Amino acid sequence: MRFPGYLTYGMLLLTGLTWAEYRGWSLSRVNQVKDVPKTVRDNPGAYRSHYGFYPRYVGGK
Amino acid sequence: MASPLVAPPVAKTKALSCPNCGGPVELRGFGHALTVVCQQCLSVLDVSTPEVKILQQIQEKQRITPKIPLGTRGKFAGVAWDVIGFQRRTIHEDDETFSWDEYLLFNPYKGFRYVTEYNGHWNFVTPLESQPTRFAIAGRPAVAFEGRRFKHFDGVEAITTFVLGEFPWRVKGGENAICDDFIDPPTVLSSETTQHEVAWSRGEYTPGADIWKAFALPGNPPPAQGVYLNQPAPAKGGSMWGTFGMFLLGLIVLAILFATASRQSVVLDKRFRFSTADAEPSIVTPVFNLEGHTAALELTVDANMSNNWAYFNFALINDDTGTAFDFGREVSYYSGSDSDGTWSEGGTKETVYIPSVPPGHYYLRIEPEMDAATGPYRVQNKRTNAMDYHVVLKHDVPNYSFFWIVAGLLMIPPLFHGIRSGGFETKRWMDSDYPPVTTRGGD
Repeated sequence: MRFPGYLTYGMLLLTGLTWAEYRGWSLSRVNQVKDVPKTVRDNPGAYRSHYGFYPRYVGGK
Repeated sequence: MASPLVAPPVAKTKALSCPNCGGPVELRGFGHALTVVCQQCLSVLDVSTPEVKILQQIQEKQRITPKIPLGTRGKFAGVAWDVIGFQRRTIHEDDETFSWDEYLLFNPYKGFRYVTEYNGHWNFVTPLESQPTRFAIAGRPAVAFEGRRFKHFDGVEAITTFVLGEFPWRVKGGENAICDDFIDPPTVLSSETTQHEVAWSRGEYTPGADIWKAFALPGNPPPAQGVYLNQPAPAKGGSMWGTFGMFLLGLIVLAILFATASRQSVVLDKRFRFSTADAEPSIVTPVFNLEGHTAALELTVDANMSNNWAYFNFALINDDTGTAFDFGREVSYYSGSDSDGTWSEGGTKETVYIPSVPPGHYYLRIEPEMDAATGPYRVQNKRTNAMDYHVVLKHDVPNYSFFWIVAGLLMIPPLFHGIRSGGFETKRWMDSDYPPVTTRGGD
């Protein structure tokens, strides 16, 4: 075993990747909100997204 | 009858008197010595005949104290060696002087060996009985020996500037020889060419600590300075790239495994129409079920728009627990033509990964936005924009972005090693006849 440090580093990365993939981790920004009322299904307008708005591109060339 | 358990012979000493100073001169070389240098007065004596003659007188001011005292016994690979001679060799290059030291070792069974030292770098040197084969690598001289190829490093004229002890050849200060070094670290093959002969030897780089241990010398060896010609590189980039290749293969196997093992089940596939004239822009989808383990969801929204944008506020709401995952995506697509030709920017489709969604019953709330002022329609005398959009939601999907990140992270150590190794080799060859970088003012 010529590079034990690198082997350990690589194995840790692959193990971490396997776990991240299995659990469905993602780099996407998603806000989690608790206790959304059941009434949202009947009145969708009553809920306002807690997600911050992206800066919007409205241009063209 | 001699016992088979007799101890091996040791180098016995024979004493002479120096004809110059009368001091004792010890001979340890079992009669091999042709020249001895008196340690008291530095007279170089010819001891090849019973009549000891003075060949040369070395000045006292030239005296050098060897780091390994003459007469010291050391062990290398289980063989005992006596230090019987010492000489300093010097070269002159570009108004600079470089010197290295050579210690002559003797064992009555094995013969002679050498230990050399330059700036704290040591080599254990064995004379060769056969000559290496000369050839060329990329136009540069090289030699082949015992299946290995050695590149020419340098060729210098070395002058013996100081001698002490005994030698199996006629040695004296001021003698010169052409020395050529060929390297395949940690080995160096050296040739010494004089008027009468060409002698080859093989040196193995030996850390100073090993020399100190072998000769049981007090204290610590002098620290090694710079990079020596056959010093082994601290890192070999090629080997680490091999390990990187194995990891890359592992990554590919993992990617294939997740691509085939992930369910990627479509839990929602619906088309909607949105108009800025709608009283309530937000809608909710029917409840769908996510089964299995906590996994990522992939949401794709495809809107039929041109030269326009739309923003989608999404909330994936767990109908059982009331937990919502809020996120948004913009879809914008612009195209046209100008003097440069046709162009387009953006796209009508966007994908977002929702991480770590536990199993349960969910529905999706969608609230689109568009700029009504640019709309082609009029409702109640107001401009209106509208679009059709298609939402697909897949459960338990692989996310390959992590694979690229891990591949990048895995590449860092081999890159670092490669750069370090390259820097080491550059330093090594800077002192050769083939410097990879020429300094300003140099040739």
